[in-house]
Amino acid sequence: MDEIIKQTGVVENDHVKKWKDDGGRVIGYVCVATPTEVIDAAGLMPYRIRALGNSNTEIADAHMSRFNCNFCRSCLQLGLDGIYDFLDGMIETNGCDHLRGMVENWNYVKKFDFLHYIKVPHIVDEDSLKYYEEELRLYKKAIEKHFNLAITDEEIWSQIRRHERIRDKLRTIYEMREKDEPAFTGAEVLSIFLLATAVPAGVLEGLLDRVIEERKDNKIEGYKARLLLGGSATDEVDFVEEIEGIGGLVVTDALCYGSRAFWPHIGDKKESDPFKAMAKTYLEKLLCPRMFNDFPSRRDFLFSAIERAKVEGVVLIHNKFCDVHGVDNVLLRIALENKGIPVLQLEKEYGAAADIGRMKTRVQAFLERISDSR
Amino acid sequence: MKLGMSPGLFDRLVHLFRVVNRVPDPVLKKLGAILMALNVLPSDLASAAGALLAPQSREAGVVFLKMLSKWIVEAHSAAREGKKVILVPFNFPPELIHAFDKAVPLTSEVLTTMGVAILKGQGERYWDIAMGLGLPDHLCSANTIELGSMLGREDFQPDAIISSAPGGCDVNSKIHEFASHYLDIPQFFLQKPPDDSGRGREQYSVYMRTLISQLEEFIGEKLTEDKLRGVIEKANRCTELYFDIWDFHKAAPNPVPNIFALFMYGTRFSMWGREEGVKTFEAMVKVAKERLAQKAYPAEKELARCVWCYTSYYYDFMGLFNWMEDQGYSHLGDGLDLYFPQIIDTSTMDSMIEGLAESAWNMPMTRQVGGESMSRSWTEDVVFVARELNADCVIYCGHHSCKQTWSVISILRKELMNQLGLPLLILQGDSWIKKMTPISVIQQEIDEFIKNVVARKTTKKRELRKRKKIKSDLQ
Amino acid sequence: MFFAGIDIGSLTAQAVVIKNGKIIGAKTISVLPHPVDSAKEVIDRLLSKQEIKWEDIKCAVSTGYGREKIQQEGLTRENISEISCHGLGAYTINPNIRTVIDIGGQDAKVIKVNQSGKLDNFVMNDKCAAGTGHFLEVMSKTLGVSLDELGPMSRKSRKPVEMSNRCTIYVETEVIHFLQQGVSKIDIAAGINRAMAERVVALARRVEPEKEIMMTGGVAKNVAVKSEIEKTLKVKMVKSKIDPQIMGAYGAALFAQKQEGAK
Repeated sequence: MDEIIKQTGVVENDHVKKWKDDGGRVIGYVCVATPTEVIDAAGLMPYRIRALGNSNTEIADAHMSRFNCNFCRSCLQLGLDGIYDFLDGMIETNGCDHLRGMVENWNYVKKFDFLHYIKVPHIVDEDSLKYYEEELRLYKKAIEKHFNLAITDEEIWSQIRRHERIRDKLRTIYEMREKDEPAFTGAEVLSIFLLATAVPAGVLEGLLDRVIEERKDNKIEGYKARLLLGGSATDEVDFVEEIEGIGGLVVTDALCYGSRAFWPHIGDKKESDPFKAMAKTYLEKLLCPRMFNDFPSRRDFLFSAIERAKVEGVVLIHNKFCDVHGVDNVLLRIALENKGIPVLQLEKEYGAAADIGRMKTRVQAFLERISDSR
Repeated sequence: MKLGMSPGLFDRLVHLFRVVNRVPDPVLKKLGAILMALNVLPSDLASAAGALLAPQSREAGVVFLKMLSKWIVEAHSAAREGKKVILVPFNFPPELIHAFDKAVPLTSEVLTTMGVAILKGQGERYWDIAMGLGLPDHLCSANTIELGSMLGREDFQPDAIISSAPGGCDVNSKIHEFASHYLDIPQFFLQKPPDDSGRGREQYSVYMRTLISQLEEFIGEKLTEDKLRGVIEKANRCTELYFDIWDFHKAAPNPVPNIFALFMYGTRFSMWGREEGVKTFEAMVKVAKERLAQKAYPAEKELARCVWCYTSYYYDFMGLFNWMEDQGYSHLGDGLDLYFPQIIDTSTMDSMIEGLAESAWNMPMTRQVGGESMSRSWTEDVVFVARELNADCVIYCGHHSCKQTWSVISILRKELMNQLGLPLLILQGDSWIKKMTPISVIQQEIDEFIKNVVARKTTKKRELRKRKKIKSDLQ
Repeated sequence: MFFAGIDIGSLTAQAVVIKNGKIIGAKTISVLPHPVDSAKEVIDRLLSKQEIKWEDIKCAVSTGYGREKIQQEGLTRENISEISCHGLGAYTINPNIRTVIDIGGQDAKVIKVNQSGKLDNFVMNDKCAAGTGHFLEVMSKTLGVSLDELGPMSRKSRKPVEMSNRCTIYVETEVIHFLQQGVSKIDIAAGINRAMAERVVALARRVEPEKEIMMTGGVAKNVAVKSEIEKTLKVKMVKSKIDPQIMGAYGAALFAQKQEGAK
C-alpha cells in the first residue's frame, strides 16, 4: 500500500518511466468511455489523465477561462508545463464540454503527435450503439495506422479477458472496503484506482494481488459514519483524507476515478465480435451523467452501493462549473432523500487548499447530523 | 412552506400577449409611442417597448410582437383544442412541430427572453426557484429561468420535452433532463454527433427519423407530406428573406436596425415555417430596404461595425441595441443568427426530412460548438460573417454559463487577429440576469473598446520617426 | 457544574458559560489574528468577569473557525460545527424552532432542526459577500452611517430604492450613484436591507424553511433586515431571548453539557 501511495503522488511514476525506458509508448485518455483494451492490444500503455489536486493554473487560464472546470484547467496546466511530455498520443472523448475545450486548447498550443477523437453518443439506444461500435473500429484503425501495427480480434479478446481479471480484483478490493470492518480507507482505494490507471496492465495484476493479500486481515476502526462519495471527477486523495480525518469513512464511491470506471463487466461473453461486446458495455453501462436518458441506471447504481456497503450518508460533490454532475446530484439527492438516506450535496473548487475548511465544516455538520439521528 | 409564489412566467406572458394580440397594429404602434412618451411603463417593459417600437424598428417590431403573441396564445389554447405542447430548446427546428396538426412548439429560451425583457421583476424569481431546489448557479439562465418557472409547479407544463442540445451543450441538456424527471414529463432526444466526417451527418439523419417516429407515436398523428411541404415552403421563403437581410447588412452605414438581430433568431426559434414568420421577415426586409434607400442611420456616423460572436444581452433591449445605435455602433448580428438556412427540396417526403435534418444540424450552437472541433467550426463561421459583413470588431458576450465558448474563446481571439486582424472584446456577465453585470458596465466596456481599440485600428498607421544615426552606430 | 462554549467568528469571538442549561455569563470580543489566542482571550475575560476558575469548567466545546486547533491545544474537549451549535442553541431557547437563519460577518447559514432538536438539513453561503454581514458593513460605510443605525433608519422609509445588482461591488457603486442623485439615505438604507433580505431568503429556499423561525448571528440585530425577511416569508420570526450573536457559543456550551451527561 505504501508503494502505491508513493507512486500515485506523481504523474510520471516509476512504472511509466520504466515502460518508456524499455521503448514502450504511452497513450493518454481522459474519460471512462475509452475502451483501453484496444490500446493494450496494440502493445501500448493507456494512461488516464489526472491533475492530482494541482492548484496552479496560471498558464491554463490564459487558454481556458475561469468559468471552466478547474480539474480540466489543472490537467491542461500540467500538459502545457510539460509534465505529460511522456505521452505519445491522446485519445479524446466528448466526456463533457470542459474536457472538449481542454483537449482542443492543449492540441492548439502543443500539438499531440497522435490525437484520435472517439465520439461517444449521449443517449443509450439502438441507433447510438451502432454508431459507437463503428467509432470503436475507427479508433482501432487510427491506432494501427499511426503506430504502424496491426491489432487482431484475438489480441483484443485477450486484453478484454485481462481487463476482466483486473476488474474482478478491483471488485474484491471494493468488497474488502465495503464490509462491516473495512480493510481500506477511501483515500487508499482512490490511490489504488489512480495507480491502476497509470501502470502497464501486466504490472497492475500483480500489484493488486499483493495489496489484497496485504490487507486481507486489516480492520479500520474509530470512524463516526460510513459514507458513499459520488460526483465529479476527483483525483484528490487529500480531499478524501480530510473527510476521513474528521470521522467520515468513505466505504464506497460512485466516482469516475473509482467504481464507475470498472464496475460493469464486458457482459456478453457469447459475442464473437469484440467491438460489439465493448460497445455494448462501454455505452450502455457508462453510468455517467453525460448520458442524458439514463438517470435511473445511475440512481440504481447508487442504491445498490448504499445497500451493499451499509452506507449511512451520501456525499455528492461537484466541481464548480461542472454542470453534468451539479444537476445530476440534485436528482440523486431527491431520490435518496425520498428513501430516507441523508445526503450532503457539496460544490467544491478542485485543487483549492483554501476550500478544504469550507468543505470540512459541512462534512462535520453532516456527520453530526447522521450520528444524531442514530 | 411556499415562499410567496407568483404566477408562472408563461402564464404572465400569455396574459400580456393576449392584450397585444387584440390591439390592431396601427393602434399598437401609436400606443407604444404614447406610452413611451408619457413615461408610464415600468422600467423593464419600457426598455423592451422602447427598443421594439423605436421609430427605426417599429414597423417590424409590431409584426414580431404579433407573431409571438400568436405563438404563445396558440400554445396556451393547445390543451383545450386537443393538441400537445412540446417544449423545445432554441437549437431545435420548430417547423417540424408546426407540421403536425395536433402539436405546437414552445421554445424555452424565447420564453425566457420575453419574460426577462417585459415582465416586472424579469426572470429572477424563477431563477431563484431553480436555485432553491439546489441546482448550481453556473447553469444557464437562458433556459433555467423558464424551466425554473415550470419547476415551481405553478406554471404551465408541456406535454413533452425535446432535448436537442446533447452534443452541443451539456448545461442545456442537463436542465431539460432535470425538468423531465422532476416533473415526470416524457423526453425525446436529437443528439448531435461531434463528427464532421460525413458519418456524423448520416447518423444525425438516422436520429432525426427516429425522433419523427417517436413524435408521431406520442402525438398520435402521422406526419403528412402535404403538411410538411406547406411548412417547409414557408421556411424556404423565410430563408430567402434571411439572405436578403444578410445582404442589407453589407451596406455602410448598416440600414438594418440593431434589434433585427434578435427578431431574426426570435422568429427562427418560434415561427419559422409559419405565415407569421414569413411576415416578420418581410417586414424586416421592407424596413431595411427603405432605410438603405434613405441612407438612414440612428447616429450621425457609423463608428464601428460589430459582430457579436455568441449571444447578446437581453435584460435591457434599449440599453444594448438602441444604445449601440445611438453611439454609432452597428450590431451586425450575433452567434444565434448564424444558422445559415438553406432552401429545402420539397419534392418528396425524404428530401424534406433530409432538409430538416440539415436545418437542425446547422442550428446555432449545434453548428458551431457541436462541431468536431468547437474552435474550428466557430472560428470559420465568425470569420466568414465578419469578412462578409465588413466588421470592424467582434464582441463576445461572455455569458458566464456558456462553458463551451468560454473554453475556446482564446483560440477564436487569436484566429480573428491572425486571419482578419480583428480585435475581440471579451465581456463577462449573464445575458438574461442584469444583477450579475449591470448594463452600464457592459456599455462602458464596449465604449472603451471601440474608442480605444477599434477606432485606433482604423486610423492611419503611425509612421515611426527615423532615429538619427549616431557615431557609434557606424562603428 | 459549569460548561463552556467558545465560538470564533470572522470578526468577533464569543464565550458562554452555563450551569444547568442556564447562561451564567457571556462575553464578546474582536478576534485576534490566531483563533487559539482569540479563544484564550475571550474565555479568560469571561471567567475573570464571572469569577469562575478554569478548573470549575467541567467540559468545554469549541466551534467556528479554528475549532479543531482550539481542541488540539487542549482548551476544549470537543469541537462541533457552528451549524449544529446554532441549531441546538435556538431549539433549547424555544423547542418550537424548526429553522434557524444565522447571518454572521462573513457567512450565512440556514439550519433546520427536527422536533427533537436534531440537525435535519442546512445550507451555507461562505463565498459570496452578498447576504452576509460584510455586505451591510460595506454599504453602511458607503452611506456614512454606523452599522447599528442602518436598520432603524430604514424603517422610516416610504419608498425603498430597488437595487439592480446583486454583487456587493456593484451595489456599492449603485449606492454612490443614488447619493449623487440626491436620493434620501433612509430610502437607500431600506433598499440595502431589502437586497440583503432577498439574498438570505434565496439561500433559505434551498432547505424549505418551516415555522417557527429564529434569526441568530450579528445581523439578527438589524430590525429592518429581519422585517424584510418576515415580509417575504410571510411569517413572524421568533425573537431570541438571548443576544443572537452568542447563539453559537451557547449551543457549544449545551453540547459540552450533553457530552458530560453522556459519560
